[in-house]
Amino acid sequence: MLDSWAARGLSGFPSMDQRTSLNETDLLRRIATGDGDALSRVFELHSPVVLGLLVRMLGGRAEAEEVLQEVFLQVWMQADRYEESRSSPRGWILMLARSRALDRLRRRMSQQRREDEVAAEEGVAVRPVGTARLEAAEQRNRVGTALGVLSPEQRHCIELAFFEGLTHTQIAERLKAPLGTVKSRILLGMNKLRQALSTS
Amino acid sequence: MSADHSTRHEELLPAYALGAVDGEDLREMESHLATGCAECRRQLDLWQGDLEELAASVEPVIPSETARRRVQRLAGAASPARSRGSRWPAILAAASLLVAVWSGWRQARLGEEMERLGAERDRLARQVSGLDQQLGLARAEADRMAESLAIITSPGSRAIVLAGLGPSPNAKGHTFVNPERGKAVFYAFDLPALTPDKTYQLWWIEGGKPVSAGVFKVDERGTGSVQVERAPRGATDAWAVTVEPAGGVPQPTGEMVLKG
Repeated sequence: MLDSWAARGLSGFPSMDQRTSLNETDLLRRIATGDGDALSRVFELHSPVVLGLLVRMLGGRAEAEEVLQEVFLQVWMQADRYEESRSSPRGWILMLARSRALDRLRRRMSQQRREDEVAAEEGVAVRPVGTARLEAAEQRNRVGTALGVLSPEQRHCIELAFFEGLTHTQIAERLKAPLGTVKSRILLGMNKLRQALSTS
Repeated sequence: MSADHSTRHEELLPAYALGAVDGEDLREMESHLATGCAECRRQLDLWQGDLEELAASVEPVIPSETARRRVQRLAGAASPARSRGSRWPAILAAASLLVAVWSGWRQARLGEEMERLGAERDRLARQVSGLDQQLGLARAEADRMAESLAIITSPGSRAIVLAGLGPSPNAKGHTFVNPERGKAVFYAFDLPALTPDKTYQLWWIEGGKPVSAGVFKVDERGTGSVQVERAPRGATDAWAVTVEPAGGVPQPTGEMVLKG
């Protein structure tokens, strides 16, 4: 992630994000040596956004909490595999979480019951999957602002791929759209996202 | 950059980072990446970075106390200050977290399986109940047929043929009476279907007075039947069928359609 920022011309004095990232990198290094306090700290720092992602992808709070524990167990056991040059600590943990959530979604799809896996256990409202979530995000952060430059169709295709793990062909089937159209929506959408992120 | 690097690969990279590439595109992309193309690797990391930011754009959700406690237990057991060099407490805590996660998952799967089996059991119970009902009806019909056959084939039974009258001249009826058993069975053929507020009623006439032998409806082929449990043991003047209000009447009021 640091490299990627550098590649966007943001190198020089470390930004606040970079300093945070450096500290978090240190936390992951400490976890790799068996430091439980560092694990607690990383959990406090990142569990809300990781759980947010899992709820967004899985729809059900109870299942998302299960996967959240699996993710931090994986962080505890595999912190030594983190590569600073390839991603930020938060990005690494989020991608672990996404990967686990996609495994669950694929298992669910193969068992033909992806529609009825909703369990709101402790009174936290689960928002419906859709652009409303990203619209809320728009007001919060620069990613939201960047997403605002995408057409609704481009956003929808990217959402289906990212949050639901669908491939080009599956998205085309879901949206009843030509395969070529889906491919170009994703390509154009991702390029717009990149451009907006690098200028915001 | 590998020798076969092209803009097509660069165009596939964003979707590849998303995990959306499939089919021939996926084979092509993977075979290209397997060549160790440094430019594609560099760009892929950049795309991954964008996706990490997309992942972080979701609305945060505060974890439950249960999840927090489990992870803190793992962290507490792992802390060097507490473990004094031994990783056993941490391993035990990790194992207990793993078991807790696995148990939760297993419990959820078992719950779903029980729900599925429960629904299957209810479906089978409904099917059995339906089959029981059909079996009951079939048995009643078989008993009725056996009884009818016994009446028709008993020595001493006599047959009376009823002919169509008025609106249904082609209709026919057969009454088989067994005076010894005091039972009779009647079959009608080619009678027209009636509206729901009407019914056919069978009578025998004894000493000039009609006595009701039962009501019946006809099927789509115009066939109907009546099993008479208390039939006349002695001679009768005639048998007849009239059209009456649904449910039948004590004395005939409607048009006579069969007589014999």
